[in-house]
Amino acid sequence: MLTLQTGQKAQLADLGAGSILSVTARVTGPAPEYDLILFGLDDQGRLGDDRFMIFYNQPRSPEGALSMQGGARGEKTFTIDLSALPSHVRRLSLATTVDGAASFGQIDHAEVTVHLGGAPVASYRVTGRDFQAQRAVMLLDVYHKGVWRLGAVGQGFNGGLDALVRHFGGEVASTPAARPAAPAPTPAPAAPPPAPGPVPPASGGLNFRRDRARPEPTPAPPPAAPPPAAPPPAAPTPPPPTAAPPTAAPPTAGPPAAPVSLQKITLEKPGQTARISLSKGGGSDPIHVNLNWNKGGGFLRGRTDLDLGCMYVLNDGERGVIQALGNHFGSDRFEPFILLDKDDRTGAASDGENLTIYRPDLIHTVLIFAFIYEGTSDFTRVGGKLTLKDPRGNEISANLSNPDMRRTFCAIAQIENHGGEIQITKEERYFTGHKDCDEHYGFGFQWSAGSK
Amino acid sequence: MALSLQKGGNISLSKQDANLQRILVGLGWDPRSTDGQAFDLDASAFLLTASGRVRGDQDFIFYNQLRSTDGSVEHTGDNRTGVGDGDDESIRVDLTKVPAEIDKIAVTVTIDEADARRQNFGQVGGAFIRILNEDTGQELTRYDLGEDFSTETAVIFGEIYRHGGEWKFRAVGQGFVGGLGPMARNYGVNV
Repeated sequence: MLTLQTGQKAQLADLGAGSILSVTARVTGPAPEYDLILFGLDDQGRLGDDRFMIFYNQPRSPEGALSMQGGARGEKTFTIDLSALPSHVRRLSLATTVDGAASFGQIDHAEVTVHLGGAPVASYRVTGRDFQAQRAVMLLDVYHKGVWRLGAVGQGFNGGLDALVRHFGGEVASTPAARPAAPAPTPAPAAPPPAPGPVPPASGGLNFRRDRARPEPTPAPPPAAPPPAAPPPAAPTPPPPTAAPPTAAPPTAGPPAAPVSLQKITLEKPGQTARISLSKGGGSDPIHVNLNWNKGGGFLRGRTDLDLGCMYVLNDGERGVIQALGNHFGSDRFEPFILLDKDDRTGAASDGENLTIYRPDLIHTVLIFAFIYEGTSDFTRVGGKLTLKDPRGNEISANLSNPDMRRTFCAIAQIENHGGEIQITKEERYFTGHKDCDEHYGFGFQWSAGSK
Repeated sequence: MALSLQKGGNISLSKQDANLQRILVGLGWDPRSTDGQAFDLDASAFLLTASGRVRGDQDFIFYNQLRSTDGSVEHTGDNRTGVGDGDDESIRVDLTKVPAEIDKIAVTVTIDEADARRQNFGQVGGAFIRILNEDTGQELTRYDLGEDFSTETAVIFGEIYRHGGEWKFRAVGQGFVGGLGPMARNYGVNV
């Protein structure tokens, strides 16, 4: 796979075969949201036709050659069918913008991965050090000059989206109200591929401003609460979980109790719960779980290897285990949108092991666990501490303290999605191993011995 | 009609214009359209012998030494931003005054402080080199570098060279690792 540097260009045919490109872009940084837009431009680099600006209010071009799919926060995948593209669209410019006072000088990084014919062929990465006050940045161009090419751009505008649209010769709507909300081609939340909706005449310019009224993943009735899907025939998956089928969640409002503020609360006792409402637009904000522990297990003992992991069931019936054992680190880009950052074998890493649930809105149940892989057999000697944070700073912590030598596996917390509300329950139940724990919670996995 | 060259192509200037005596080498590029430090591109010329090296430092024509001692090559001055229509920088060459031991004049463009500003030619659009008959103003040939650039910070745009009693021009479009300093040293200049 080619790693592009800013300014670098490459011919698509040199990278792979096929005419369907999939471009996934992800921006991580302090801003609550980074928007991603694909501009379909003419051979002069002008946006001659507003319908080829693919973004949150218009996720598909009229003939369907360009489309956008959502992903985790700050991530979008654009599909480009070069063979179906109208001949006047000769350059596709992928850009990212940020609202308000934020700028791209503050981002952690932005990353673009290009798949051609299904295979990853190129990637491009920039960091905040590549920018200053830019509030709109052009990341990558796919363009036709003799042949189709890729170019890593990495330049932008302090003036944000307005300046970017002007750069492409587009008109900026004079007022945000230029387009009434009602007839906008806004995709319905659960609707399948949005119809190539009517686009207002170009006279007023395209309204590129985020339609804040657009239904984000809301806590409203979960989309048809699917029953646990039958396992695909190809995969020898375990039987459906016997516990906690999705239908167990109240289809409507959930517990009537108002969402509580979780500011720095510590769930002291097993069974205590805390709730995070998804109704504050937090549906796709990640939940971070950190496990840290002391370096040594005692003077005479060697180092201790404590592992963080989870068992999960998603709302679509998908289920599995994330843990270092067996290298099941998960993914931040694909289902289950749960990622374990590393396997800290000794406790030496200052930040321990981190598990991130990128899409709490997609989960049904996630059981966070820790187990002692080697080094000691007593949780009290490990000094393990688990911290769970949601993006609004709510924090739940638990100290691992069971003195029972034989039980080296701890189910720490259960995270459940109850129709738009995330409920976190402190478990702190100790088991002899994965299987023992699974039998208690009823995920229904099949376990075999593994080592690393 | 001027003949447009592709990378690596060459053309006989003498055949294009039998009365050719003085040429103007015009170089251009688009100014930066995005926010950030401007692209400050510098054109230079190296008077080279058949060995491919300068006779001495006086054969390196650039923003701090605009004129060769014999007056055959003259840089018209530094343009710091690329703003303006047409040529951004140009170099005059009086072919009749070029010393006999000079076999070739290499015309290069480098990006000032490219590393510090994290800039390269892949970010610069609309770059070209063209050769005009200075006496008539007629364009003899042109080379648009277009897609030939990527992450280079120094590029040899073209060469004007002797070939059996004629003057020819080759569209080189070749990148060079490093900036103006390494490029000058490569040609034998003490910098």
